[in-house]
This record gives sequence, C-alpha cells and structure tokens, in this order.
Amino acid sequence: MTKRAGIGFYILLIIFVFLVMFPFIWVFLTSIKPQGEIFSSFQWFSSNMTFENYASALETRPLLLYMLNSFVVATLTTIISIIVASFTAYAVTRLPIKFKGLILGLVLAASMFPQIAVLSPIFNFVTDAGLRNSYLGLVIPYITISLPLAIWILSTFFIKIPLSLEESAKLDGATPFQTFRKIIFPLAAPGVFTTAILVFIAAWNEYLFALTINTEDSWRTIPVGISFYQSQFSVPWGDITAATVIVTIPIVVLVLLFQRRIVAGLTSGSVKE
Amino acid sequence: MKQPKKRRFQLNERQLGYAMVAPSIILIAVIIIWPILLSAWNSLFDYRLNDPSKAERITSLSINLETYADNRYLVYDTMEAVRDTMPGAESTLDNITSALDEQHETLLKTDEGLADRYEEVNTMLENYQPVNDDDLRLTEIPEAWTDGFTAALDEQTAAVQALREDAPEGAVQPLTDLESQLSNTKNAVLEPNFVGVKNYTEYLGNGRTWTAMLNTLLFTVVTVGVELAIGMLVALLINRVFIGRGLVRAAVLVPWAIPTAVAAMMWTFLFDGQSGIMAYYMAQLGIIDDPGVLLSTGAGGMFSVMFADIWKTTPYMALLLLAGLQTIPRSLYEAAAVDGANKFQQFFSITLPMIRSAILVAVLFRALDAFRVFDLIYVLTGGGPANSTESISVYAYKLLFEQQNFGAGSALSVIVFLSVALLSTIFIKLIGSDLFSGRLKQ
Repeated sequence: MTKRAGIGFYILLIIFVFLVMFPFIWVFLTSIKPQGEIFSSFQWFSSNMTFENYASALETRPLLLYMLNSFVVATLTTIISIIVASFTAYAVTRLPIKFKGLILGLVLAASMFPQIAVLSPIFNFVTDAGLRNSYLGLVIPYITISLPLAIWILSTFFIKIPLSLEESAKLDGATPFQTFRKIIFPLAAPGVFTTAILVFIAAWNEYLFALTINTEDSWRTIPVGISFYQSQFSVPWGDITAATVIVTIPIVVLVLLFQRRIVAGLTSGSVKE
Repeated sequence: MKQPKKRRFQLNERQLGYAMVAPSIILIAVIIIWPILLSAWNSLFDYRLNDPSKAERITSLSINLETYADNRYLVYDTMEAVRDTMPGAESTLDNITSALDEQHETLLKTDEGLADRYEEVNTMLENYQPVNDDDLRLTEIPEAWTDGFTAALDEQTAAVQALREDAPEGAVQPLTDLESQLSNTKNAVLEPNFVGVKNYTEYLGNGRTWTAMLNTLLFTVVTVGVELAIGMLVALLINRVFIGRGLVRAAVLVPWAIPTAVAAMMWTFLFDGQSGIMAYYMAQLGIIDDPGVLLSTGAGGMFSVMFADIWKTTPYMALLLLAGLQTIPRSLYEAAAVDGANKFQQFFSITLPMIRSAILVAVLFRALDAFRVFDLIYVLTGGGPANSTESISVYAYKLLFEQQNFGAGSALSVIVFLSVALLSTIFIKLIGSDLFSGRLKQ
C-alpha cells in the first residue's frame, strides 16, 4: 500500500484513464462539430463549434421525456425493492429463523437467472393486465432484477452492525420490529443508501424489458430511446452523439458524487473483511 | 408504580423474521419462479402470437367463444346487407341462417353452462370489452361437432361463392365479406397445439441455434478472460497511494455506470466504416485492411462487440480485484521478500491464493452477465452480419418478438436458463461457502 508512485506510474495511469475516457471524449468532440464535418474528417477539433446537434437531438426525439420515464421507473423500483429487501436482509442476518442458507441461496439463484427466461410470460401477464406502456408495467419486471440484488448487498451491511445493540434494545423493552425500525435500520442507513444507488443504476440501464413492454415512443426509457435514433435510411451521428452526451451527464454527476459508496457496494461481499 | 402500558399484539422475533422474509419470497415465487415454469410449459406448444389458430396453448380440441361470437355477429350483420342489395339471395341466406343456427344449438348443448358463457362473452363484445379470461372464452368441444361445423361452413361458403358469380354490382362487396367471415368462423375452432419436445429437437438440430450458442460461449470466455487479465494488471498498478485516486476511480466507474445500450450506440459510431474513428485508426495502423470490415464481416463484428464489452467492464473487474488486493496484509510480502522471493513468486504464492475467492466471485458474476448478453449485441450489430454475432439471448428474443413464435422462443430461453444454472452450479461448487461468508454468521 505504501509503494511510492513514480513518474512512470503516472504516465501509465494517464494512458489508462485516457483509453477508458477516449470514447466519451471523441463523442463529445463530435457532438459540437457541424453536420458536414462529422462525415468527412477525422480532425479532433473543429474550428466551427456549434450546438446545432443538441438542438436537433432534443427536437427529433423526446429525449427529456425518455429521461423522465427512466427516472420515474428507476425511482419507483428502487423504493419498492429497498423496502422489501431490507426486511428480508434484516431477518436473514439478525433474526432467529430457520432456512437462512436456503433463502439466501434462492436470492442468489434469482439474481443469476437470465431475464430472457421470464420475458415472454411477463410480457403476456403485463399485456393481459393492461399495463403495457405504463410505469407499473416496467416496475413489476424490474423487481425481478433489483430485489435479489438489493437483498444480496443489504445483507452484507446489516451483518456488520454489532448484535449487542439488539440485546440492549430488548432489555429496554423495545419490540423486535421497533428494534429494526428505530435502531438497526438508521444505523445501516449508509449501506441502504449505497444499495439504493446500485439498484437505481441497474433499473436506469435496463434494456430488454423496456424494449419489449413499453413500445410507445412516449413511454420509452433512455436506453431504448437512444437505440431508436438510428433510422433505416440514415444514421444521424450528430444527433446521436449529442443525445449520448446529454444522457451521460447525469450518470457522471452521480458517479462523481457517490463514487466511494458505489465502490463499497460493488465490492461488498466479494472480499472477506 | 406506574401501570405498564397496555401492549398491543406482538410478534416474537422468530415470527417477525418469517413475516419479514415472506414478501420477498412471495415476489420471487410470483415474478421469477412462476414465469420460468410458464416458459418451460410454453416451450412444449406450437404457440405463435401471429397465427390466430395457435395464439393460445391448447391441450385438447377447443373453441374460442370470443372469435366465434364475434364472427357470428358479423355474419348476421353482413347477411342483412346482402338482403338489401340482392333480393334473389333470399333462399341461400335462409339456408345459411338455418345451418348456422342448427350448429349453434348443438354447440350450446355440448356442455352445461355453455349457453350462459356464450351470453357473457357476447355481452362483453357488445360493450367493446376484450375477453382476456381464458376460462371464459376457451372451452373444449367434441370432435363430432367440429366436423359437422366445419362441413356446414364450407358448404355455405361455397354457396355464397356461387351466388357472387351473378350478383348485381352493389352486392359483390357484401358477398365477398360474407364469404370471408364464414370462413373466418372456422378459426374459432382451435386444434390442440401441444407438441411435446418438438421445439427442442427442432431447434437443437438447427445450425443457427448452435452458432448462437458458440458465439455466446466464445464471447463469454474471451471477454471474461481478457477482462480478468487486464483488470488484474490495472488493479496491481493502482494498488498504491497516489494523487488523484478519487478522480481515477470516478473515471473508471463511468463506463460501468452508463446504460449498455448507450455504450453500444457510442461504439456503433466509433466502429462505423465511414465516420468511425476506431475503424479509421485501425485501418491506418494496418490492423484491418479496410475501415468497413469491422461491422460488415463476421470476425470484425465479433471483435467489435467483444471490444466494447471489455472496454465497459474491465474497470469494474479492476475495482473488484483491487478491493481483494487491499485485504492482503503487507507483512506477508515483507516476509516473502526477506525469504528472497521475487515479485513473480510473490504474485503466484501470495497474491493469487489470497484473492482466489474474490477472483472467483468476480468471474462468476461476470461470466453469468456475459452469457446472457443481449443489449450490447442487439444494439451494436443486431446479431449481424448474417447472424455471425448473434448470442443465444438475441436469437431467443428474435424468435419471441420478431417472429412471434412463443413456443420456439421459450424453448431457447429455457436452454439459456439451463446453461446458466449449470454454469453457476459449477462456480458455486468451486467457490463453496465463501459466497455466503459475510452474509451469515458461521
């Protein structure tokens, strides 16, 4: 850990970061070029910077509506799955119930199954229930992805809280549910928040269900909406690069604000502490 | 002494535990396990959404009351139009009416309560309500009735056809309508479409399935292997104190955090034969002959999707491995250095064994993700050119929603499911109880 970082190290590091960021840099530089230059030249910088691609990206497709749809669906999914998952994670890690291993095994299995295996029955169900092209029609299938994920991550956070806290709460006459709601849950709040970010990102990024269930343009989410910028006859790269920059900004902000938590959530449970 | 407050009904800890677990278990059962079983059941039928006679799972000869009632109404309606435009058709129309009524009477007698159900369906149709309840609209019918029904409809269709030959001009359209409506009425009869394992035998004997399977395996092995190797190098590189750690961490998280579909769109642009910078540079460097080959040849397409996946996921892999590296006590390396072990020996005898389970967990989750790859390929190449980058999930999706063949598509999705189950069982055997450590008290 205390290895010194020399100049060679920083050069390697800058190359690595540059390679990782290169697609974003190029897409951004393209998005501010005038239409004509996109197709003809591989110049990095354009002398005629313009924002016409941004105006066009927002005009040709309802990009902001897609973002709103994604936001609502991801938020609802996160709230529902965090509530249900925190109950389960608490019970599995801290209450004297049987079959804990079996329950966690089921959760793990549920987080591994391929979404395509449930797609057609869920499609039929959502169609019969009249939920195609609605927020709820996506929130229900998204629970299949987010609930196992949330239980899996939350349980690593719950188990780290010392058990003695519950014992003293019990001595003070708190009921088991009060102990959960007033003592353990608030203590686990940072972990809950971390889990919520990961669940939110997973729901924001989902493609397969969104593509199949919400087929009306006004109900599309960001990932599906972006993939429909391509038309059969022409590929409007100017619009696409501008749209990509617009939808990447919220993610960049999220990552910059919460990078520590995201890493903590991603690595929780993959290493023994 | 204060009176103890009157206590409400309380759950003890164990009861509360089960009550708290219940919602998740119920949700998992209803929206994951039940649909998987339904997929398996669907895969045993010749079930196609775009073919009205196969748009349901039918185990025995049945009639769709919705189609039947709808067409019956249309036939009677059109007969009125014919009556108005062609007075000479009277006797044929009477024949049709009596033939249909006779069949109708017999149908309603085949099952008790059928008359009531028919009425209910009819009322719903009159109110323009869709009939979604299968128990209401589908009913088994005897073969004898079906034969008579089909024969009667064929006979009347022929009669209408004959009538049309010398019909006055105004009557041609209603007669054409009548003919097709009579023939459509036959669609109400649903032949059983249970085919057993035929979808499996057919699609497992199909070259495209195996190509998709091999593409998926190749994609999984190559991407996870390369991601692990590069990820490990990067993790070893950044496992030290340096300025700008947070910034580097944020930079590598962004590719992981953006939607795969957005990443795929970006790479479609970068690999494009005309305006793609990657394709341009690779051709300039002589790695490829022509900028166009990346997205227009099978090998180029496979390279493109793998490259995009490696770009998107290596940083994530590096972060997982870095977290593993940081748990290794420094004293181990110091002791090894004292014993004269060089860097390579240290890596193989300390680093690798110490983070074995971190590697296995990371590889397990990555491999499962890679094996079910859908959005990256679907957006970047669409499975093309000529299905050469099609993964098994993409093929299953195309069968399900582009060809609307729910039977075959379900069979493929069951195959994906079984492969994933097999893959994860192997990994979990390898990882063992480490997977649950940190979640359960031993």
